[in-house]
Amino acid sequence: MSAYRSASFPSSPVRPLAAAREEASLILTEAEAALDPVAHIEGFVLGCLVDASTGMILAARKDQDDISLPLAAAGAADIASVLSMLGGELPVDGLEDVMVTFRNQLYVIRFISDDLEPNILLLVILDRARANLALARREIRSFCLNFAA
Amino acid sequence: MSQTPRLRRARQLTASVLPTRAADGHAGLAAGRLRKIGTSAGTGMLPFSGGGNGVIYFRDGKVVYAESERTPGPAHNAYSAYAETLPPLSRIVAIRAVTEPIIDAVLELFTAQARHAKFRSSRLPVTGLASGIDVETLLAEIDRRQRLMKQLSVVLTPDTAIARNPHLRSESIRISAWQWALLIRVRHGSTPRDLAWDLRRSVFGTVTDIYRLLVLRLLSAADEVPERGLAVMSFVRAASVKKGDTMPVINAGPVINAGPVINAGSAAEDAL
Repeated sequence: MSAYRSASFPSSPVRPLAAAREEASLILTEAEAALDPVAHIEGFVLGCLVDASTGMILAARKDQDDISLPLAAAGAADIASVLSMLGGELPVDGLEDVMVTFRNQLYVIRFISDDLEPNILLLVILDRARANLALARREIRSFCLNFAA
Repeated sequence: MSQTPRLRRARQLTASVLPTRAADGHAGLAAGRLRKIGTSAGTGMLPFSGGGNGVIYFRDGKVVYAESERTPGPAHNAYSAYAETLPPLSRIVAIRAVTEPIIDAVLELFTAQARHAKFRSSRLPVTGLASGIDVETLLAEIDRRQRLMKQLSVVLTPDTAIARNPHLRSESIRISAWQWALLIRVRHGSTPRDLAWDLRRSVFGTVTDIYRLLVLRLLSAADEVPERGLAVMSFVRAASVKKGDTMPVINAGPVINAGPVINAGSAAEDAL
């Protein structure tokens, strides 16, 4: 209701809920700064740390507004969950990272630590036209190693 | 003369007729109250009673602590060292160790439809959070968790009795230390809430982990569950907000030490 009111009367002091939430998500302090190295990767669009056990976003950086952060993070957590479960039954040794290629974007999902705990995922979304996947993957791996050190 | 205190009697008599106490609108009312405190940058406490007793503490309109009598609260070692001294990952884990019990308690207060009383000033507990959690951030996360719990409620709730399966279906299963800790504590009739208290871990996190153990057939719910009911948990579905809408990024500033850490494994095949 408030969103409609605000849309009809731009001067209304009532802010749309979505806008309020957007703002709320940008109160990142230390954890946002911790994602700085990832944000410098060529073609960076979005980066976030997700608690893979609860799906909660712990920190995020975003260069574009047209991507739904919660959906991207939830998707990454779901993918990692399914693949981790699969890894228990196949002769493979732990999930390192996942790369998903869309026509215009690359999604790289990686566990921050090789251990099953603390079970925090890093999701990085890159613009496919600008990113070099091999370099980006290397930088992400390096970031995770430094982050967990 | 009645033994029931007058105030409680009055509450019992008016509970069903007071328009502000309608069960359906509870979450909206409580969320509205929290928003109002957030907007006015209030400092103090908002007590809850009824469905579950608890308190939410605010500092300058941000939530700095919450407790519910039905959730375990933070681990004893959650506040023992300042986060600035920790490496990045440990700092994030420390923030999570402090924020997770807060979110868990608020989720319980909202789910149990506890009634909030008057907001009043009080001394704040030392929580280790530098800046607190923004109300909108908290409410968005609560909303997401409620959706997820609704998905799981077909199979599992915090109070569903569970039991260990004596036979393993698979030769090799990879589980986390937390899941192992859960497994070895399960007795016939244990509930996720009991186990959360045993491990001093969030009830929500315990439910999601136990669900994963159900999927792996290491545990079973005491009430037999339909086969197709087991593949319902999806973070994507729980976060199915409109594109452009934003969800919580829980990060409430420097905290205080690495606390409990969580698991791995899971299920969400139907989400992919």
